[in-house]
Amino acid sequence: MNLKAVYRALLRLFPEDYRSFFEAEMLDAFGRASEEQRARGLIAYGRFVCTELAGLVLSAPLEWIAKTTTSSSIRARSLPDLRLMRPAGVPREVWFASARTMSAAVPDEIAEAERRVEFCLRRMECAIATHDFQGARFYSNEDLKARENLRLLRAKRGPSQ
Amino acid sequence: MRHVEERQELGGAKPLTEPVLLILASLAAGPCHGYALMKDIEGLSNGRVRVSTGTLYGALRRLLEDQWIERFDQQDTSREKQAYRLTMAGRRQLECEVERMKQLTRAASARLRTKEA
Repeated sequence: MNLKAVYRALLRLFPEDYRSFFEAEMLDAFGRASEEQRARGLIAYGRFVCTELAGLVLSAPLEWIAKTTTSSSIRARSLPDLRLMRPAGVPREVWFASARTMSAAVPDEIAEAERRVEFCLRRMECAIATHDFQGARFYSNEDLKARENLRLLRAKRGPSQ
Repeated sequence: MRHVEERQELGGAKPLTEPVLLILASLAAGPCHGYALMKDIEGLSNGRVRVSTGTLYGALRRLLEDQWIERFDQQDTSREKQAYRLTMAGRRQLECEVERMKQLTRAASARLRTKEA
C-alpha cells in the first residue's frame, strides 16, 4: 500500500461534504509536497509524512465538530449540503415524484414553493457542473431558503401536505 | 484554555491564529491554489511554519465560511487545482491584524528603549 493510498484512506475520516469539495485538491497538494520532500532527504520526508498523517487524524474530529455545531446555512457558504441534494443515480423524476403526485391536491403556494426548490437545485447542479462555485453557493443558499419556506407552508397547512 | 481576556478592538476583529494570518498574507499578493499556499507560507515564515494539508484545508474551509476568501475560477482551473483569493472582508481583517501587530510592536519597542535608557 503506497503513501497516497494511506492518505486517501485517512481522508475517509472526514465528513462527506468536506471530502466532496476538498479531497481532490488535498490529494494533489499532498502528492506534490510529497515529491518535493522526498527530494530533500529521508529525514525531511519522514518528518513530512508524520506531520501530514497526524494532521489528518487530528483535523478529522475537528471537522466533524464543526459540521455538527455550524448552522447548515452558514456551512453552505463553503460546502454543499449533501443531505439536500438529490442522490447520485436517482432520476429527478423519481426524486420529485411524491411532490408531483401531491401537486393536484396541494394549494398553489405550496406548488410554487416546490417549483422554486426544484429550480434552485437544478441551477446549483448546473453551476457545480460548470465549476461556477460562486453561483453554486448562491443557489445553495437560495435552495435552503426555498426549502425552509416550503417546510413552513406545509406546517401551516397541516401534516397531510 | 487561554487565561487572557482579549478586548475586541480595531473594528471588533479578533487576533488571528498564525496559519490564518499567513494564509491571508499569502493571498494578499494574489490568487493561489492549495499547494502554492503551502509553499508560500513556508517562504513567508522563513521555513519556520509548514502547514499540513489537513490544517490548511481546515483553515480554508473556515475562511470560506467567514467569507474572508472565495474560490476563484482561473482559465486552467481543474478540480485538483482550485484557486482562492481574498475578499474585501478578508483584506480588511488582514489590515486590522497588521495594525494590531504594529501597535503591539511599537509599545514593546518603547518599553525596551525605556529600560535601556
